Amino acid sequence: MSLSPKNILFYLFLLGVVAWACVNPIKDFVQIDATSFTTIEADISDDPELSKVRLTSSSNRLQSQLALPISKAVVFVIDQNGNKTPFTEGIPLGTYYPPTGFKGAVGSTYKLNVKMLTGQTYESTAETMKAVPEIENSITRFETFDQYSKVDVRRAGFTVYLDFKDLPNEGDFYLWNWKHFEKIGFCATCTDGGKYDFKKLDCVQPKFPTDAILNYMCDGNCWDISTNNDLNVFSDVLTNGQRVVGRQVARIPFDNWTPYYFRLEQRSITKNAFAFYQSLISQVQSSGSLFDVPAETRFSLNIKSLTTPSERVLGIFNVFSVRKKIFIIDRRKDIPVGELPIVSVIPGDTYACPPGSVGCQDKAPCIESTTRTKITPEGWVF
Amino acid sequence: MIKLLPRVLCLGLLFVLSHQSIAQTTSLPAIFGKVIDASTGEPLKGADISVDFKKSGVTTDTSGNFKVHVPYGEWVIKVSYVGYNPYRTKIYIKANTELNVELNNVTKQLEEVIVSSAATKRDIQTPSLGVTVLSLKGIKKLPTMMGEVDVIRSLQSLPGVSSVGEGANGLNIRGSNVDQNLIFIDDTPIFNPTHMFGLFSVFASDAIRDLELYKGGVPSRFGGRTASVLDIKMIEPNTDKFKMQGGIGLVSNRVMAEIPIIKEKLSVLVAGRLSVNDFMFKWFAPDYLKNLRANFSDVATKVFYRPNTKNTISLSTYLSHDYYRVDSLFSIENVVAKQTSFNYGHSNVAVHWNHYFSPKLNMMVSGSLTDYSTKTFAPDTVNTIDLKSSILYRNLTASFDYQPRENHKMNFGITGTRYDIDPGNLNEGVVSRVATVKLPLEQSYELGLFADDEWTISPKFTVQAGLRYSQYYRMGAGTINEYVPGQVPSLNSIVKKTTYGDGEVMASYGGFEPRLTMKYSLAENTTMKFGYNRQQQFFQLLSNNTTPLPTSRWKTADTFIKPQQSDFLSLGLFKTYNENVYEASIETYYRDVRNTLDFVSGANLQLNPNIETQLISGKSKAYGMELMVQKKKGEVSGWVSYTYARAFNQMIGDYPEVQAINGGDWFATNYDKPHTFNMMLNIQPTTHHSFSFTFAYNTGRPFSSPSGSYEIGGKKFPVFAERNNDRVRDYHRLDFSWTINNPSMKKQRWEGSWVFTIYNLYGRQNPYSVFFKSTKNGLRAYELSVFASPFISLTYNFKFL
Repeated sequence: MSLSPKNILFYLFLLGVVAWACVNPIKDFVQIDATSFTTIEADISDDPELSKVRLTSSSNRLQSQLALPISKAVVFVIDQNGNKTPFTEGIPLGTYYPPTGFKGAVGSTYKLNVKMLTGQTYESTAETMKAVPEIENSITRFETFDQYSKVDVRRAGFTVYLDFKDLPNEGDFYLWNWKHFEKIGFCATCTDGGKYDFKKLDCVQPKFPTDAILNYMCDGNCWDISTNNDLNVFSDVLTNGQRVVGRQVARIPFDNWTPYYFRLEQRSITKNAFAFYQSLISQVQSSGSLFDVPAETRFSLNIKSLTTPSERVLGIFNVFSVRKKIFIIDRRKDIPVGELPIVSVIPGDTYACPPGSVGCQDKAPCIESTTRTKITPEGWVF
Repeated sequence: MIKLLPRVLCLGLLFVLSHQSIAQTTSLPAIFGKVIDASTGEPLKGADISVDFKKSGVTTDTSGNFKVHVPYGEWVIKVSYVGYNPYRTKIYIKANTELNVELNNVTKQLEEVIVSSAATKRDIQTPSLGVTVLSLKGIKKLPTMMGEVDVIRSLQSLPGVSSVGEGANGLNIRGSNVDQNLIFIDDTPIFNPTHMFGLFSVFASDAIRDLELYKGGVPSRFGGRTASVLDIKMIEPNTDKFKMQGGIGLVSNRVMAEIPIIKEKLSVLVAGRLSVNDFMFKWFAPDYLKNLRANFSDVATKVFYRPNTKNTISLSTYLSHDYYRVDSLFSIENVVAKQTSFNYGHSNVAVHWNHYFSPKLNMMVSGSLTDYSTKTFAPDTVNTIDLKSSILYRNLTASFDYQPRENHKMNFGITGTRYDIDPGNLNEGVVSRVATVKLPLEQSYELGLFADDEWTISPKFTVQAGLRYSQYYRMGAGTINEYVPGQVPSLNSIVKKTTYGDGEVMASYGGFEPRLTMKYSLAENTTMKFGYNRQQQFFQLLSNNTTPLPTSRWKTADTFIKPQQSDFLSLGLFKTYNENVYEASIETYYRDVRNTLDFVSGANLQLNPNIETQLISGKSKAYGMELMVQKKKGEVSGWVSYTYARAFNQMIGDYPEVQAINGGDWFATNYDKPHTFNMMLNIQPTTHHSFSFTFAYNTGRPFSSPSGSYEIGGKKFPVFAERNNDRVRDYHRLDFSWTINNPSMKKQRWEGSWVFTIYNLYGRQNPYSVFFKSTKNGLRAYELSVFASPFISLTYNFKFL
């Protein structure tokens, strides 16, 4: 924020009133304890693509990416009629998938059972899949957050609000996720004078780094995927059966005029899953105020060890039904005069094979990952 | 330099001259006179005379006379004598000048101290051996935050008194939770002692006469809390003379008037404070804060009537009010609202009748009422919310002070309290998409019988023994759930609901509370004090926040919530030196509390009719040692204190397998800060100036540090396996204030003063908490600091006498 005389006055006289508070990152945070726990994240959904079970041993570090997969476990779910569906390990390791075509049914009750190589056996409580209402409408409004500077991409953007009718019975719990696909032209960028190795599918750095940046075009269609960072849950305890209007679900940056592909997912989750997400929210999203609640992880909420009942198990058996809706958001509508998008420019040169060269490749492949895909997103109209 | 030179030469000359012989006749003019003791008139022999801050070598003779020769010009003369306050003056010397000085003996000076361990003077002293008295005059000398004289903040510079952090709501006294301290203002309880979510105390400082803090021996006339008592007394308005005082500050403006209506019989006190920051948000705040509104006010009044020498009647009222409007800062869970407003405040009224039967016996009858109401609302959406809650406290007390013999001081009486709690009432009579939720009203009675005797067995040994019996009834109408035996209470395990009619007893508890304080003089200036209390608490705050929100829910004991019970032991040694100028003390204590509460992870406390499903009961213990050295009188006064204090909880619950927090082990409370060091220094060179410094240091408070991280839905989250297993960085802060009294230096009815303060002088970013956020690069630790830079303020105060 610029320090205009007005602002200085404000600081001098007033900020104390809203508590002269500040938040600083701790650079060298040292953990006082480092422990790993068995983690079971199991999803049973009426969307065949979303049912899976992931078994890991949690990382004992805050920063480390490592969560060791737990392989070769016997995993199955049983429904209320005693039908047993085995889950088999696939890729990546530690992830177990149901047989093709398996999908949960609204109203059915499921129970998870996991037996590990070590003999440890875990069982969940029975969870019933609840129905989910359709997403009816979304409202997108251009809004600026003036605590950020004019050049900050977080300042101007579109807030997406949701509109749906809660189901008549009380005890519905919702969770929203969204996904955005952005078509990209460059599939690889090598910095410091590096060059792309088409065998290794990665940049190779030269012995003596330079400040050259090379961009490689994609060899076909490719999309970057971005998703919500925050958890967003809601209970109908106070609004049962009503139309819920104005629930904020996303914030879209104003970084271009182009239409914005936005896929919204509405899940109906169980009470246990709601309690679990709620506790995650209070730990990482609602923390940092004067009035924090104690940070406490909910262990063994609906999955317990049968072999060692006192074992603290991380994770959740999440049974949910889901609806999706795709919105194409027009980023030209209702923009106040003087507001311009902050378009990010990709620095560097575009690599191209010299004319006439033989066997030269200049287009990088689109490598499938959680943040990138070559599969045309559903409902892609551009 | 050229200008300075003659004076330097002159000074040199002066010393040469004065060292030779005082009696010697010189052509330089002389300052001569006599130095005497102001109270006895006796001449003081050997007093030093300094000229321009340098010793002249001249001292007074046996009859207190002195004579010193100085060149023509302006000189600062200082007369000092051991054990007496020095005298300074500026004189312009044109000829021989007479200067007679009266010096004040420091030991005979009235204590202008902030803290003392003796009870205030009364006609018949009620037993109060374990009290610490804080004079408001003294508190006003301490540096303030934003110019607001703040009782709660000032108390925190005393050993044994702390809070979770800056901006926290309430006090933790000797390891107590905030709701375990009884705060009385003219015998009416205060349930939320702060304005602005914890930034300022609610008490209008001008209307306060003194504060009595019982952190050890609590007399039996106080009950209903398991830790300490903070008894705030309002000024009794002057029946002779109109007086007015007030101040203009950054945060608020204050005014107080004492108005005699019938001379020596009837007078009125009115004191008010109003925050003025609100409009400034509109003017100066950056856009994102323009919508913020924050206002508070408080008004205290007292009517004092003395129809004759045997009777006094007083009517005190105290009103406080807070209003906030914030953009989606806090809201009610599961309600869609962009902007939320808060309203809350106290309305307290008390009537006291004192009747003096004889010099040995007097009676006090009082009726008091406190109404604390809160409102959370968001009117401007289709999802209108309007959440109200309130506590109505009504009390009748009759007590007697009786002094049958010189060595017995007794106090006994009877007291009865009725509580009516409206724990939460959402959208009653409001058109909204958000449901109407009305929690059942709760009503209860707390009755007490008490007696204390302060018996001076010998000049060396005093015992104050007391006993209180408290009886509690939770009254109908209401419903009690019955849960499947052997199972954790939950909505699914309710097997039966028993309904009680209006006036039926739903639950009752009672018990004796012995109190004992002993004082024994080991030597003339050395005393030892021992204290033991048992106390019960039937009324508590349900809050799982670091510091309670003003809208947090209070709950009286019922079938599931057992009353808290505490045992407290303390032992102290007090010593005074140099005729009470210095006082040193060491105190130790141990406190043990049963039936304290904690909450299940992710507990829903607001608007929950089955609150027992969210609670985990357990025990607390606290112990510590407090050291303090005070210099009570003189030009430089102040204190230094060191405290070692610990406070732990053990929350096992009735079903330890599921409920136990931290595996059932003892864990540090949020306010467990082992080492605390406080320093206060007041320098008053003249009656016109005073400088104060306060320094505070304490160990950082505990927080829960993660044991690692795990992934859910592709996002990383920290794993919190233990409660409060690490600590934030240590806390330290230095404050400074400079008070200029009556700058015009003229005696007049209107007297102004300026107070300039710097809070957090060296701008330390003291951490309040450590928390974790997931970023694109994984989880990161962050630190939250409140008042993280120096804060300068200027306040103008006035008195009209």
